[in-house]
Amino acid sequence: MPVPDEDTFRNDVRGWLAANLTGDFAPLVGSGGPGREHEFVQERMAWERRLGAAGWIGLGWPESDGGRGLPWQHQVIFYEEYARAGAPARVGHIGEQLLGPTLLMFGTAGQRARFLPGILAGTQLWCQGYSEPGAGSDLAAVSTRARLDGGQWHLDGQKVWTSLAQFADWCFVLARTEPAADRHRGLTCLLVPMRQPGIEIRPIVQLTGTSEFNEVFFDDARAAAADIVGAPGDGWRVAMGTLAVERGVSTFGQQMGFQREFEAVLATARANGAIDDPDLGARIVEAWVGLQVMRYTAMATLGRAATDVPGTEANISKLLWAPWHQRLGELAVDVAGAAATITGPRYELDNAQRLFLYTRADTIYGGSNEIQRNVIAERGLGLPREPH
Amino acid sequence: MEFTDCVEQADLRSVVRAFAARHAPPDYDQKIWERLSTELGLTALAVPEGFGGAGAGPAEVAVAVEELGRVLLPSPYLSSAAAALALARAAADCPEPAERYLPGLAAGSMTGALALDADVTVDGDTITGVAGNVVDGAMAGLLLVRAGDDLVAVAATEAAVEPLATLDQTRGQAAIRLNRARAVPAGSAASAVALHRVLLAAECAAAAEYCLEVTVDYLKTRRQFGRPIGSFQALRHRAADLAVAVSSARATARAAVRTAAINTGANTTGDSDSAALAALAPLAALHCSRTFLQVTGEMIQLHGGIGFTWEHEAHRYFKRAKSSQLLLGPASALRAEIGRAAGLLPADPPVTATLGWGPAPR
Repeated sequence: MPVPDEDTFRNDVRGWLAANLTGDFAPLVGSGGPGREHEFVQERMAWERRLGAAGWIGLGWPESDGGRGLPWQHQVIFYEEYARAGAPARVGHIGEQLLGPTLLMFGTAGQRARFLPGILAGTQLWCQGYSEPGAGSDLAAVSTRARLDGGQWHLDGQKVWTSLAQFADWCFVLARTEPAADRHRGLTCLLVPMRQPGIEIRPIVQLTGTSEFNEVFFDDARAAAADIVGAPGDGWRVAMGTLAVERGVSTFGQQMGFQREFEAVLATARANGAIDDPDLGARIVEAWVGLQVMRYTAMATLGRAATDVPGTEANISKLLWAPWHQRLGELAVDVAGAAATITGPRYELDNAQRLFLYTRADTIYGGSNEIQRNVIAERGLGLPREPH
Repeated sequence: MEFTDCVEQADLRSVVRAFAARHAPPDYDQKIWERLSTELGLTALAVPEGFGGAGAGPAEVAVAVEELGRVLLPSPYLSSAAAALALARAAADCPEPAERYLPGLAAGSMTGALALDADVTVDGDTITGVAGNVVDGAMAGLLLVRAGDDLVAVAATEAAVEPLATLDQTRGQAAIRLNRARAVPAGSAASAVALHRVLLAAECAAAAEYCLEVTVDYLKTRRQFGRPIGSFQALRHRAADLAVAVSSARATARAAVRTAAINTGANTTGDSDSAALAALAPLAALHCSRTFLQVTGEMIQLHGGIGFTWEHEAHRYFKRAKSSQLLLGPASALRAEIGRAAGLLPADPPVTATLGWGPAPR
């Protein structure tokens, strides 16, 4: 398929979103996402299928694997237009952005043929089973065990902070398969069906009062012997590949979401006069400056990323956006003033309150900002490791 | 927007970097300037071919500014190139100063300086008043003086020029006095201000990157407690924060340079680019100058006692960073300008006032 020119493509995306975010999907505008993942889940799953049917999933994947083979510029346009339209936060993003690319890198032809079509169609949802109570920043301390017995993997252990586990069909699980091996060896990445007796899911109530994340307990849960990514014992390399795969294309959609949040804060500040307060006015300008800086940094990253091996761009990006987002959350409640101290009768939060509270997670999840600094220091700057 | 050097720009960069590494003198050296101008042809980059230049533009000038800035090579290059770019940009409406000065600026036989913070009045074709912090003003043959919204060209021979001793000894300044000096219109002040800020932002970001490199090298080699100090997390994390800051500053400066290059291009002078630059030039100046200051302050700290010595280069960068920031004006004023240009703040904002911790409005 020839690559459409960027303006045509942008018009196509915009037109499709305008035509489809209507009817049953109209209430989904602005729904979902951090702090709001509980909203309209069934409807958003239907929306995922609508996206898949129209070919909007896997834009950058190779055409031989069912993708569109589009360059990063087109993916950026899609994410920008998607966020600009206020289309709902995706429920299929873990499959599309983490598991899919992992299979493209490490999966067998059979695995790609079996799992990628469901992701592309928006019919199969994935969750990620990496973190454990004893393995957060120290991911290699994973202790969930899997042993091969009678032609099946048997899993025992616990995962935590598993987004969307209650809706997912599959989980890619990092588990210890060779207990005697050195801690970075002996790990294997398994593809585990979520709907089975050996799996129990318990939601975690966060400081926002809502639940996006879950605990997942494996009690003799099963996976087929062939459903591992890479070789047995190769799980650490696969896991690191998954984490490095996020090259920043979706950053633009994220930033468009930030832009919308910023505009909401700005609108409040104009409406209630906060904009005239010198401190708040200065912080509003600084928030906008930060948005532009993040955008240019992401653009510079993408310009390089086409030919480079994954570097520390994603780590740098996170150290820029997570603290920025926290500052925006603080600004949002400062702009609202004392009104922001009152919630709904059942602790319903407004957007400013949610932003203020939820953004505390931003510097923790996906590798805490301290871990990001370690990665930049070691891989980006070549500083020596800290001795153990 | 293209964020990486094209082949010609990459070649230019390596040539200037190699030259600057060999020839960075502690003080201004006329012979070095002549070689920069004639051998390397850097002064011609800012000038259109019709005026004896190489017909390059802000993107190529920025490459030279960045590479000379990395080693703080003492020269009036940034000032003079900004003046040339401003004259070239105004040449269609104001041909006289372009014809008179651009060939000399292109050859490097004359340099220009910007007096953008001047207290002057224009009376017919003369100008009277003073300007206190004219960077590279002592050796300039051409002064571009801001008079309200306008820019005027004044021959330095028409001015009383007093060289000043500067905190940043690698960059000179002068005070100028104008008493009914002959002045010729030379375009809009806003254009010159924007070009100057963009080039200064590029210099700050590039020099900050150099300071980070030097500091990281030191962290790898300096040993205490039996191991390189760069293996201590307290220092590694600070270095990582600097890497984030430098990375963002380089990208922001690059975006500003590219926007300025589009804006001054021969075939595209879209209003949208002009509007974008109105916010982006002060934004890049604000972000890159404070990043430079942050990095140089940390450079001194992470070097420990040696970083506090006159012998070590850190103080020169620290002084350049703070001087650049001070010459750009207070952050509150830059923010106000950004806020207005981006349509965030009302046209006459109270943000220019000193910042306070006022109570949040109810």
